[in-house]
Amino acid sequence: MEAIWIYQFRLIVIGDSTVGKSCLLRRFTEGKFTDISDPTVGVDFFARLVEIEPGKRIKLQLWDTAGQERFRSITRSYYRNSVGGLLVFDLTNRRSFEHLKDWLEEAKMHVQPFQIVFLLVGHKCDLIQLRQVSREEAEKVALAFGMKYIETSAKDTVNVEESFTVLTRDIYERVKRGEISIQEDWEGVKSGFVPNVVHSSEEAVKPGRRCPC
Amino acid sequence: MLIPTACNECYHSYNTLTLLKAPSACRRKPHPTASVLYERKLRFPAFCFPTISTGFERRPKPNTLPEVQEGLQLPRVRPQHQRRLGHRRRRGRGLFGRRPSVVPAPPAAACSPAPSAGLLGRPRRPRRAADGRRRALPKPEGGRDLAKIDSRPTNGRVVKSCSEAQLSTAKVRTPIQKQQSLPIRPIVPLVARISDQNASGAPPMTVREKSRLDKFRQLLASPNTDLDELRKLSWSGIPREMRPITWRLLSGYLPANMERRDLVLKRKRDEYFGFIEQYYHSRTDENHRDTYRQIHIDIPRTNPLIPLFQQPLVQEVFERILFIWAIRHPASGYVQGINDLVTPFFVVFLSEFVEEDVENFEMAGLPLECQRNIEADSFWCMSKLLDGIQDNYTFAQPGIQIKVKALEELVSRIDEDVHSHFQRYEVEYLQFAFRWMNNLLMRELPLRCTIRLWDTYQAEAEGFSHFHLYVCAAFLIEWRKEILSMVDFQGLLMLQNLPTIHWGNEEVGLLLAEAYRLKYMFADAPNHYRR
Repeated sequence: MEAIWIYQFRLIVIGDSTVGKSCLLRRFTEGKFTDISDPTVGVDFFARLVEIEPGKRIKLQLWDTAGQERFRSITRSYYRNSVGGLLVFDLTNRRSFEHLKDWLEEAKMHVQPFQIVFLLVGHKCDLIQLRQVSREEAEKVALAFGMKYIETSAKDTVNVEESFTVLTRDIYERVKRGEISIQEDWEGVKSGFVPNVVHSSEEAVKPGRRCPC
Repeated sequence: MLIPTACNECYHSYNTLTLLKAPSACRRKPHPTASVLYERKLRFPAFCFPTISTGFERRPKPNTLPEVQEGLQLPRVRPQHQRRLGHRRRRGRGLFGRRPSVVPAPPAAACSPAPSAGLLGRPRRPRRAADGRRRALPKPEGGRDLAKIDSRPTNGRVVKSCSEAQLSTAKVRTPIQKQQSLPIRPIVPLVARISDQNASGAPPMTVREKSRLDKFRQLLASPNTDLDELRKLSWSGIPREMRPITWRLLSGYLPANMERRDLVLKRKRDEYFGFIEQYYHSRTDENHRDTYRQIHIDIPRTNPLIPLFQQPLVQEVFERILFIWAIRHPASGYVQGINDLVTPFFVVFLSEFVEEDVENFEMAGLPLECQRNIEADSFWCMSKLLDGIQDNYTFAQPGIQIKVKALEELVSRIDEDVHSHFQRYEVEYLQFAFRWMNNLLMRELPLRCTIRLWDTYQAEAEGFSHFHLYVCAAFLIEWRKEILSMVDFQGLLMLQNLPTIHWGNEEVGLLLAEAYRLKYMFADAPNHYRR
């Protein structure tokens, strides 16, 4: 039977090449980890359901983008239809941290007229010895960007679930508050298969139902 | 041999050159308008002309045909593209080269399981053939599915071909019985025998293959290799031992004149190592550092499951090849995906020195001279390949964008069901086909299949840049059943992870035959089947 969800969110995962975007997603959706995997070419798709409150499930459509510069012309077309994003950098690679600003600008430029909720992810936190970016520093940057920060490791399964649920919950709250609304011709948020009972209770908090005048 | 046949769309007669090939598309000008054609389809949905037709069977003219009664179950032919390779294989049609040279054109209704198949006064399909078809199916579900599709009321679409049914009625099946006894395929390990051959465990060499090998030998022994002949011969696969030299010749790296070969090879190899000497140290320079860094992190990720490519020596070879190529082509530079393209050349040129089991071979055991030759040859052949598809990798990757658009347009003409299914669930072609173009299907197929595929690509005039499009279309239609069973957008996941792990030469051969058919029918006929 098709699982039932109240909303579907489309999320995008961005960041420099080899920061571990695909590994993070594979761990989250398949529970697997491989030390080496092919570089992502263009954009790959993943999907998973998350339960944010008992009985309330949200379907996540996840877009894994290629980090290499040449693929930007392909990947940037995915920003527009995303409601959220994981901005990933490698804790053991200072350059990937320094590029965060470029990534954010790139995203902002192509997400118009919609908005995108980001979560900053410092990846590979298991490699303590090789670490080049401190937590404090990353937190400061996250604060400046106006986003939450989390450190993860796909290898040791640290905070993988949390990173996605934190972002999902964040978006869910905004949807509930009406800051983000379902719109036609936009894939970012969609309302899903809901049994009637749940649907009516959701209806009350469903955003975007304003007076037409 | 000129064979009169008819356009599937406007029923205009024209000649095809040979029975062995798919008919060329109708070039009637002006082609009847879409509305006229549509009306004809509605009126005469039973008009299903075989791909190969002798043209002599009685075919009523549209305006002399009695009115089709309403509600009458009309026979429907399963179009070529609805059939799975598996079914075809078991019916014994391998490459089109294996088609019987004389095929009696069966009645169009012969393909229909419906008892009303006698419409238009045509004989029913012999029972025996029907049973044979059932038996040939791999799974009972497959059989049900087939029946379901076949008996679906005609929706007004003209179907293209029932040449397969011809084969099931024609008495040509005996010589190929061997293939029918392969319902259970041996499980092939992930990287088994990357450089060769049949995944089905077929005997290493049949009489036919032996004679092909002899032909190759003969052709390559002449002082001036006839490249056209070599292309023709290579199209349906190059024997393993002939592959290294044939690839060098077909890619334009090695001259056809035998006397000049040694000289050219030496000059080219020296030239490559001259590049290395001159430029390779610049990898640490400011302007090349990023390129080298990207290559350096991608190489260990290239073919991660094959031990051969984890050897430091091999990885260094790849790094040098890619770095030199990248800095000599600043318009594109190094783009992920190009790293994959070195692999087939490297493996094929290495296989000259390895009897078995290339994937576990220790490169260090090879004399330095051989190592260097493999490296230089791989570089030049890869360069030749990339020359033809460089716009795939330049800014904004226009080559890929154009080809994905062309694929979409092509699929909308050859398989409307698949096309509209994608539209319904908002699956975009770019979402799955980008990688097919960027990596030339290398991520979707086992390496042994890529090598076989490239035999043909190098034999085709514009194999990598043009024919690849038709291969992608054939590849997509291969998964038609799975695509049509998608119930939402998530079906895209399936397209990203296609189960081709067991594929071998047979599957690639069929894929190529289908691609050839598509190219033959659609390449020069932009309006054929346009909706």
